[in-house]
Amino acid sequence: MRISDLKISISGIRGIVGKSLTPQLVIKFSEAFSTYIGGGKIAVATDTRPSAEMVKYAVFSGILSCGASPLDLGVLPIPSLQIYTKEKELEGSISITASHNPVEWNALKLIKKGGFFLSPYEAEELLDFYYQGKFRRVQKPEKIEKDLEAFTIHEEKILRFTDKELIKKRRPKVVIDPCGGAASPYVKNFLEKLGAEVFCINCKLKDGFPRNPEPLPENLLALSEAVKNYGADIGFAQDADADRLAAVDEKGNPVGEEYTLAIAVDYFLKRKEKTPVVVNLSTSRVVEDIAQRAGVKIFRSKVGEINVSRSMQKNGAKIGGEGNGGIIVSDIHRCRDSFSGMALLLEYLAWSGKKFSEIRAGFPDYFMIKEKIVVSFREGKRIVSKLGQKFRSGNVNTSDGLKVEYPEFWFHVRPSNTEPVVRIIVEGKSENLAREVLADIMGEIR
Amino acid sequence: MKGENRLRISVSGIRGRVPEALNVEIASRFSSAFSSYIEEGKIAVCRDFRCSSHMLEMAVISSVVACGIDCVDFGQLPTPFLQFLMREEGFSGGIAVSAGHNPLPWNAVILLNEGGNYLEPGEGSEVFNIYEAGDFKKASWKNLGSVEKGIFPVESYLRDISRLVNIERIRGAGFKVVADPCNSVASVFLGAFGDFFGLDLISINDDPEKPFPHPPDPSSENASQVEAVVKGTNADLGFLLNSDGSRISFVSERGEALNEEFTLPLCLISLKDRINKAVTTVATSGLADCAAEMAGVKLIRTRVGQSAVVHMMEAEKAEAGGEGSGSFVLSSFSSGYDSMLSLALVLDLLSREHKSLSEIASPFPKFFMKKVKIESSPVEMYKSMDKLEEVYSKENPDFTDGIRIERKGVWFIIRPSSTEFILRLIIEGENEELVRSVEEEVKERMQL
Repeated sequence: MRISDLKISISGIRGIVGKSLTPQLVIKFSEAFSTYIGGGKIAVATDTRPSAEMVKYAVFSGILSCGASPLDLGVLPIPSLQIYTKEKELEGSISITASHNPVEWNALKLIKKGGFFLSPYEAEELLDFYYQGKFRRVQKPEKIEKDLEAFTIHEEKILRFTDKELIKKRRPKVVIDPCGGAASPYVKNFLEKLGAEVFCINCKLKDGFPRNPEPLPENLLALSEAVKNYGADIGFAQDADADRLAAVDEKGNPVGEEYTLAIAVDYFLKRKEKTPVVVNLSTSRVVEDIAQRAGVKIFRSKVGEINVSRSMQKNGAKIGGEGNGGIIVSDIHRCRDSFSGMALLLEYLAWSGKKFSEIRAGFPDYFMIKEKIVVSFREGKRIVSKLGQKFRSGNVNTSDGLKVEYPEFWFHVRPSNTEPVVRIIVEGKSENLAREVLADIMGEIR
Repeated sequence: MKGENRLRISVSGIRGRVPEALNVEIASRFSSAFSSYIEEGKIAVCRDFRCSSHMLEMAVISSVVACGIDCVDFGQLPTPFLQFLMREEGFSGGIAVSAGHNPLPWNAVILLNEGGNYLEPGEGSEVFNIYEAGDFKKASWKNLGSVEKGIFPVESYLRDISRLVNIERIRGAGFKVVADPCNSVASVFLGAFGDFFGLDLISINDDPEKPFPHPPDPSSENASQVEAVVKGTNADLGFLLNSDGSRISFVSERGEALNEEFTLPLCLISLKDRINKAVTTVATSGLADCAAEMAGVKLIRTRVGQSAVVHMMEAEKAEAGGEGSGSFVLSSFSSGYDSMLSLALVLDLLSREHKSLSEIASPFPKFFMKKVKIESSPVEMYKSMDKLEEVYSKENPDFTDGIRIERKGVWFIIRPSSTEFILRLIIEGENEELVRSVEEEVKERMQL
């Protein structure tokens, strides 16, 4: 089985620069999107990857080719682009970012009217244009426009939403690690406006990203050190496109992305508004405990921002997200947004007067393991049905792969649609239990 | 597929109607092929003011840097200016997005090698082989090329031109000149040029934001506006340019267009006693022979096109070259046809001889020339040529380029255009009657 690193899927097109992601592919894909959108302005933003420039030139030429007009927003976090798209009533936008993937990757993420990712059907229609190569090429292309102030719209929304006076009184010391990514030009200033004293680490690229961009605990060693050295109250880490957030407590201990989301949800329900909560099927059970304590309903959606976002709309949820640190506050916008997350957590610190480790200690402990195994697509399906048989005594949900729940543990096995990969997530009340369950599952797979 | 919607491929690059024949994807692949051929160094890029040029240029830049080659973007710039600066600075190649004299829906991606020359046929086919094989160089994220904005060195350009002429004499003459840059990319540079030469410059059609006021080709039939303004303002001279600033033709102080065939002869006599050899093509007017004789220059004829002329100049160590399309190149100055150079040489000639342009033109014989475009299609074009080759085989044809026949008092050449799907018939004779009869004869025989 030969596996291409190029991934063309409903979330866009992703590949490795110098191998699969060529200017020709980027041009074609942008032409398909421009044709699909049918004209008007298409905003384009990038993260800070060195390949951004090459990709951006190709995107601009593709957009122009099919009659739309590119609006250049420079380096910008993806949530800011989504909000800009909504507020400026644009027909669509393209984000040039491979998010948490390493620096050799790049990708196009497509945003539609209203600032949301494409739904599966919309994406299918776009992919039809792409594969058929039937583009609406024009004789007289439009012109390129520029707006380098796009972040302000996002920032002002959060500043209005946040109790800045409360934060200012406590004046928390914050260390921020944007991984030299799209948040880098903005985040220090943003946190200062919220009322924090801010220290920035990894604010620039140096020969690629200064750390692995995924905000997993093992990638946050520098942040933990800096929090201790500065005597800070909290540390924040973002990924390269700044949709995901992970926090580190004042002792330098990462609370993990799952708990980062959970704590933000807890505060929202306590102090902002009691509304239903939506998280995806892979998210920690701790969020269920929090919803229960607050007396609100919780809904589980399929994995993926667009799925969480749509379920939130359907169920009247104003808070939600994904356990990988993707916090969604619908008053700002129904998208994963690390900036909204930071605002909630800083307010929490100020309001509670507690240390962040104390806040974390107030929640039950769960232990989660995330595994990924490489198997063929067909094998992936076989694994799902086999595990479904074995664990049929549990509470089974098959809406997105296989999720089985028991009182003491649960697991979620999900074959990817775009890669020959099966993701396995196990959560238990103790580390031993989680490891046992994982071993069980692996035994069954072999 | 209609012929006019096909991509036209030649040594100089690719050209066609946007978007039917030429689009961003093709421009991108072609640039990837060229950059893969170049392999290393940096590439200079520029574009003209056509509405599709920016879009195509962005596809070009993305593809150049993806091959790991640095790109210096000179933005909107006449192609000859790019060729000029490439000689001074260390570029390993150049790409110009400009379709020169072609009408508006057209555009082109023109390739230049080190030194700003058009590619030689062998180089051109190598690029196309890479293009067809899709075997492009792919640089990793660490090795991608950079994009830098370039600024055209106007001062050194003007300084180099001034060394070829008597600048004080031209300034002293204080010429009144009417310019029609055809709303092209050259428009923005005319002011600096006029100031430098002390001209009283009257410009028309000099807003690059506006569409072409007439076909971007400096032939006599497009000269009526300049003719009128020259008369109305009692100017000493008028001129008109094509869209990339490579070609020029002149209008005399009487408001009469000398046709574009006069540009080369005027430049040659301006350089009298300063050059020994010049190259032109088999399709250029006999006026060039007269001028070469007056100037004491040996004239060599070759195939049509900038690439052929410039490469023949190199081979023959000729100092100058040009074509009947209003083009002129001087090897000591640049590798490209350059309208501003021609203008400077003509100004130098007028100030040296203390004569008006019509006086300078008067000793030349009154040839009658007709340039006929015969619409054709990609297939018909070559069939017609085959037929004509047979028909004229007994008249000792010259096959340097197409078929050229020389008779008493008249000569003609018919050849397929390398840039459009037409046959170009050029006839020149001592009188109109001779020329007409040849035109009828050729058209008739094509039908046989």
